[in-house]
Amino acid sequence: MTAIKQNPGLYRIVVTHYAVSACCFLALTLLMLLSVKAFTGHYFHPQILAITHLAALGWGTLIIMGASYQLIPVVLETDLYSEKLAWLSFGLFLPGMVGLVWSFWTFIPGIHMQCSALLLLTSSILFTVNVYLTGCKKQQETIQEDFIFSACLCLCFTVALGAALVFNFTMQIFSQDSLHFLKLHAHLGLIGWFLLMLIGVSSKLIPMFLVSRYQGTRLLTWSYYLIISALLYFLIDAYLFGLSYRTYIMFLIGGAGLACYFVFLYKCLRSRLRKQIDLPMLNSFLSFILLKIAVLLVPFIIYFHLKHNPATIRFSMVYGELMFMGWITSLILGQTFKTLPFIVWVKHYEHLTGKFKTPLPSDLFADYLLKAQTIAFLIFCVTFMPGCYFMWLPLIYTGVTALMTTALLYICNVCIVIFHQTRTYGQL
Amino acid sequence: MASFDITDPLSFLKAEIMETLRLVIDPELHINIIDLGLVYGIAIDADNRAVLVTMTLSSAYCPMGESIISAVKNCIEGHYTGYTAEVVLVWQPVWSYDSISEEGKRLLGL
Repeated sequence: MTAIKQNPGLYRIVVTHYAVSACCFLALTLLMLLSVKAFTGHYFHPQILAITHLAALGWGTLIIMGASYQLIPVVLETDLYSEKLAWLSFGLFLPGMVGLVWSFWTFIPGIHMQCSALLLLTSSILFTVNVYLTGCKKQQETIQEDFIFSACLCLCFTVALGAALVFNFTMQIFSQDSLHFLKLHAHLGLIGWFLLMLIGVSSKLIPMFLVSRYQGTRLLTWSYYLIISALLYFLIDAYLFGLSYRTYIMFLIGGAGLACYFVFLYKCLRSRLRKQIDLPMLNSFLSFILLKIAVLLVPFIIYFHLKHNPATIRFSMVYGELMFMGWITSLILGQTFKTLPFIVWVKHYEHLTGKFKTPLPSDLFADYLLKAQTIAFLIFCVTFMPGCYFMWLPLIYTGVTALMTTALLYICNVCIVIFHQTRTYGQL
Repeated sequence: MASFDITDPLSFLKAEIMETLRLVIDPELHINIIDLGLVYGIAIDADNRAVLVTMTLSSAYCPMGESIISAVKNCIEGHYTGYTAEVVLVWQPVWSYDSISEEGKRLLGL
């Protein structure tokens, strides 16, 4: 038995995903700057829909797909099933995502929007098939596999429901209005796709990065079943009856599942052998704090919704921003500099190690840029979210400027890693 | 952790190779593979000038596994002219955090 092998084909596909998603992040901040006033209105606004989909697809999903091709073989302990399938999925995803975002921005719900949605659906199915067949290559089943496979299925259902909503603009598919299904679409994506996938992968990587002694999986098993139960219960109940007092019960079940995951992380942190926590990992822990804040807003959203209080719109807006621009963004901003330097380092130095003194993976990115990026992102968090809640434009402008600075610093650092030139410091 | 028999005429060379392998650093933890307890044993075929290193990894699909293996081979062949090195990965006994030496724990800040 040998260890996992990096190959040039896998390297190209992974790095392409990272580079394109970094560009999408910068484009996202530009769109946000162009639509600052839209953040003081309703979330069902063409510009907000375009921004949300660019964040969810171009930034979040694309980088998760790219990282998955590198990390899922590590988590599932087998080689990726097919690189060709991965390229095909990427080739369909990119025009689909650009077409959908542009169609939302200009709000022309015609053939372009529909074709884009179908391209994204095909791409998601191909990605899921690739992950499933990768998992089929081995016998051992782990809780991480359950998280990852369920997440991929949820991605397909999310995109399928999104495509149906796109067609619903021009032909009557649903009897109820789109906002009713938007809640289901959003939560299938946020909880089903992002949360399950990120728990599945991080529950393997975080103990590895922290060199944690804790090896238990009982908390993860509880977390999986509680989150899945809450999600299914929510989807069925909200589809049939909309939000009601029962939604609190689903929130408590899902919250308990999330709490199990946080306890798991805490146990990993407490039992870590590596005492010093680096900046990329601190960014990751910031993301969990932002996720907690977002989850704590949910009871308020349910309460105001049931009271028909317009405050529910503001809370929902801040909740969405905390999830997409807070939790997911912060996690990517940190984990990029744990994973990408490794991928590039293996390509440049695997054949030189033991012969020459070489840089280590953590030497491949500029630490000062990461520090500046973290500060800029913190400024974004403390200005943008309150700015949106209080509908105060100067705060929103400050936040968007800080996020644009974050994106520029991030893209510079990603370029430094990707365009790294091999160097050695003499023989060992 | 490997042990040496002082009646073996090659034990000095084995111990020396073991010390040399301290130059191989785990890229993530920044600690050498000897203090991490990854090397289980060294065998030397003096006639054929071949070194066989028996070692493990922290997990079967350690992302840095290939790099560590090639580093071990490069390190031995670079320092012992005329010798060839081979690495055999074994998974018994399973590596655990208890395999880390006292020095390794100190380097980890424990």
